[in-house]
Amino acid sequence: MWLWFSKLGSPKWFYELSGKWLPWLAAGMSLLLIVGIIWALLFVPPDYQQGDTIRIMYVHVPFASISLAFFPLMAVAGTITLVWRMKLADMVAKTAAPLGAWFTALALASGSIWGSDIWGTWWIWDGRLTSMLLQFFLLVGVISLRSALEDADAAAKACALLSIVGCINVFVIKYSVDWWNTLHQPSGSFSLSDEAPNPPEVWVPLVIMIVAVYLFFVVSLILSTRNEILERERRSQWVQELIGAN
Amino acid sequence: MFESIQFSSFGDFVEMGGYAFNVWSVYALFLLFFFINLYFPILKRKQIMREQKRRLLVNREKVSIDSKLSNNEMDKNDS
Repeated sequence: MWLWFSKLGSPKWFYELSGKWLPWLAAGMSLLLIVGIIWALLFVPPDYQQGDTIRIMYVHVPFASISLAFFPLMAVAGTITLVWRMKLADMVAKTAAPLGAWFTALALASGSIWGSDIWGTWWIWDGRLTSMLLQFFLLVGVISLRSALEDADAAAKACALLSIVGCINVFVIKYSVDWWNTLHQPSGSFSLSDEAPNPPEVWVPLVIMIVAVYLFFVVSLILSTRNEILERERRSQWVQELIGAN
Repeated sequence: MFESIQFSSFGDFVEMGGYAFNVWSVYALFLLFFFINLYFPILKRKQIMREQKRRLLVNREKVSIDSKLSNNEMDKNDS
C-alpha cells in the first residue's frame, strides 16, 4: 500500500503510465462523443414541452454535473499536498483549476442559452445559478491566488486551503434545487429526477454523453498534468533523457 | 434505425423546430471548448519540448566549451 502510494506520487511513474493510457482514453472518448452527439441531435424525440431545445440537455447536463467534481478533486489533492507533500497532487490541483473554470463557464453558458427560450430569461438569481456563478469566481480566485504568490510552496498551500473551503459551495449547488424549489415555480427547476421516469431513448444518449465528457475531462487533465510535470521536473535526469531522445 | 431520425429533411434539421439559434450555439460552444482544451495542451507540450531541447543543447555546448577552456587554462592556474 505504501509502496503503491509513494509510486503514485512519483511524477515519472505517472508520466509513463498516463502515456500508455492516453491513446485508449482518447479513442474511447472520441467514439462515445461521436455516437452521443449524433444520437442527441438526430434521434432523440423532441420533448412535449420543450421541443428541440431538449437537445441542449445533452451538452448542459454532462458539463454541469462534472463541474461539481472539481472542488472535491482539488480538495483531495490539496489535502494530500498539505499532509504528505506529494508533488504530483499539487500538479493535478494546479491544472484542474483552469479546466474547472472552463467546465463551469460552459455549464452556465449552455444553461443560459437553454433558459433564454424555455424560461424566457437568460439569467435568474436563484440558488442554482447563483451558487454555480460563485463556483466560477472561486475557481478564478484559486487560479489568481496561485499566480499572485511567488513562492510555489506557499501558493500550493494557499490553493489547497481555498479548495477545501470551496467544497462547501458544492453542497449548496447540489441541494440548491431542493432547498429553494418551494420558492420557485416548478418550471424553474431543471432537475430531471423530479419528473416521471424518462424512456431509454432519452436517458441512454445522456449517459453516453456524460461518460464521453468525463473521459474528455480525464484526457484533458492528463495532457495538462504531463506538461506541468515536464516543466517542473525539467532538471531531473529522466526528463532530460526523454527530451534528448526526442 | 434511420426511420427513427426525428427530422424529415436537412432543412428541418437545421431549423431545429424553431430553436436553431439555441441548439446550434450550444453545440458550437461545446465544440469550441473541446477544441481549445485539447489543442492548447498539445501545443504547449510541443513548445516545452522545443524550449527544453534548446536549453539542453546550449548547456551541452557550454559544458564542452567550459571543459576546453579549463583544459587550456589548467597550465596557467589551478582554479
